[in-house]
Amino acid sequence: MTTLLRIAGLGLALVVALLFAVFVGDQGPWYFAWVVGTVMIVLISGAGAILFDAQTDNTQEGEV
Amino acid sequence: MDLINPSVVDLSRFQFALTALYHFMFVPLTLGLTFMLAAMETVYVVTGKQIYKDMVLFWGKLFGINFALGVATGLTMEFEFGTNWSMYSRFFGDMFGTPLAIEGLMAFFMESTFVGIMFFGWDRLSRPAHLAVTYLVALGSNLSALWILVANASMNVPDGAHFDPETMRMTFDSFIRVVFNPDAQAKFVHTSVAGYVTASLLVMGISAFYLLRHEHRQFAARSFRMAAIFGIISTVAVITLGDVLGRMDYEHQPTKIAAMEGLWHTSKPPYEPWIVAALPDDAKQESYFEIGVPYVLTPLVTHSFSTPITGMHELEEQAGPRIESGITAVAALKRYSETHMAEDLAIFQAHEKDMGYGFLATRHAPNQDVSAITDEELHNVVEQTKPDILPNVFVTFWSFRLMVFLSLYFFVIFAVAAYLSLKKQLERFPLFLKLCMWSIPLPVLATEFGWITAEAGRQPWTVFERLPTFMSASTHGVGYMLFSLGGFTLLYSIFIAAELYLMFKFARLGPESHGEHDPENGTPSLSVIAH
Repeated sequence: MTTLLRIAGLGLALVVALLFAVFVGDQGPWYFAWVVGTVMIVLISGAGAILFDAQTDNTQEGEV
Repeated sequence: MDLINPSVVDLSRFQFALTALYHFMFVPLTLGLTFMLAAMETVYVVTGKQIYKDMVLFWGKLFGINFALGVATGLTMEFEFGTNWSMYSRFFGDMFGTPLAIEGLMAFFMESTFVGIMFFGWDRLSRPAHLAVTYLVALGSNLSALWILVANASMNVPDGAHFDPETMRMTFDSFIRVVFNPDAQAKFVHTSVAGYVTASLLVMGISAFYLLRHEHRQFAARSFRMAAIFGIISTVAVITLGDVLGRMDYEHQPTKIAAMEGLWHTSKPPYEPWIVAALPDDAKQESYFEIGVPYVLTPLVTHSFSTPITGMHELEEQAGPRIESGITAVAALKRYSETHMAEDLAIFQAHEKDMGYGFLATRHAPNQDVSAITDEELHNVVEQTKPDILPNVFVTFWSFRLMVFLSLYFFVIFAVAAYLSLKKQLERFPLFLKLCMWSIPLPVLATEFGWITAEAGRQPWTVFERLPTFMSASTHGVGYMLFSLGGFTLLYSIFIAAELYLMFKFARLGPESHGEHDPENGTPSLSVIAH
């Protein structure tokens, strides 16, 4: 039952997010671009740091 | 009608420009650093590596210093609208006040509350919960900026309001139209992302300083990597949104775009060059020593190869009938306010869209009363008013160019930085690291030039084509303005000195390790997903 409620809750959140995306994407395309773009910038820069760790683990070189 | 003393108007403008430019030294860093902190903390929560928490704590300290001074300098500006720009506030307060009030609520309730939790909640919250708080700080600070930019956009493109002849004020029509004003959207994203660039270069520059001194190398290299990637994507975004804003100015504020491009005469597509450098002379209405790149201006501004861009001489000529129509509107409005005759209201409504141009003509009317202009005087008044529709071309042209040149420089420096960091060759290029370090102040300058372009380019209006600047100030004395200007200059200079002292002090001290990693030799992973 708890799992079902959780899935329903997440489904509802997904629907709200989609409706938000449709509305903002239509009425405020640059606001929508900012939301998507900022998330992308944060995640790609985070991925850069994780890649740094992977490079350090693999090479064990002193250079940074 | 007595006009406000021009010296008082100039001093009010100077004071507002000064306080806004001081304030805006702090704002972009806050906007960008919060999302950089969120990115670093995300990596910390995902990898569990202590070094990323150290990064959040160290860069968070610099953010805290900047945030406190940003709030202090921003407070006075909220009041300045009432104290120094009371005529503007009366005329446009319904439109401007609402987003300004929401901005205050965002800044003081959402942003400041979560800042406190972010700084003091490390031991009281789970890691994911703390991460959520850091994201809320970032969202709160950027949403504060959103509302002030919505307010600013309504001054540039006053959509969602109409003038009420009964109250003599602009009245709200649609909150949705104000918020979703295309100018507000593009301006917000442009400004917010410019903040990301500012923060990226600060983090990259200070990290370069550590790398040059061979201190905190692992910490600095990771910070540098994240900042370089953050910066290169943000720079592409800021240039893209700059193009969007230019396109909007072309559609809504032709005098601004013509001044930005130093375009005295209507362009000849597709050959028209983009002027790289020139010396515009406002008095003679021409430019000297022009150096241009042919075939660039038309597609750059209009996104086509055949659409002409109207030059400033032609815009002046086009303004003539609007000034005449505006004089009729203002004269009818004056009569209506005295007699409330339906006939006067009908005349006003027929010419309402040109009302601002009528106000603009006030300075040249006999006794500053446009209703007293005779048919013989009308031509002279119109001719005298025409040049007033243009902003200061030299200032607008060069502030725009300096902003553009700097943004292109940022693109190059971030691209090289990202490449060298990904190749792990940063320390082989000490000169480049020095360049990164010395480039820290440049994004602040670029954002200041951006503001000067936007605000100087909107002149002679506070509310574009509705209310001239010379009618917007308060009726203070010159002595009062000089005294308050001196006070603000002194106080804000102390704030800047305090910021620089604290930033240098903590940057030199460097990050503190909190015991779980060796800052020189790497970082053991604590867990895959902390908590």
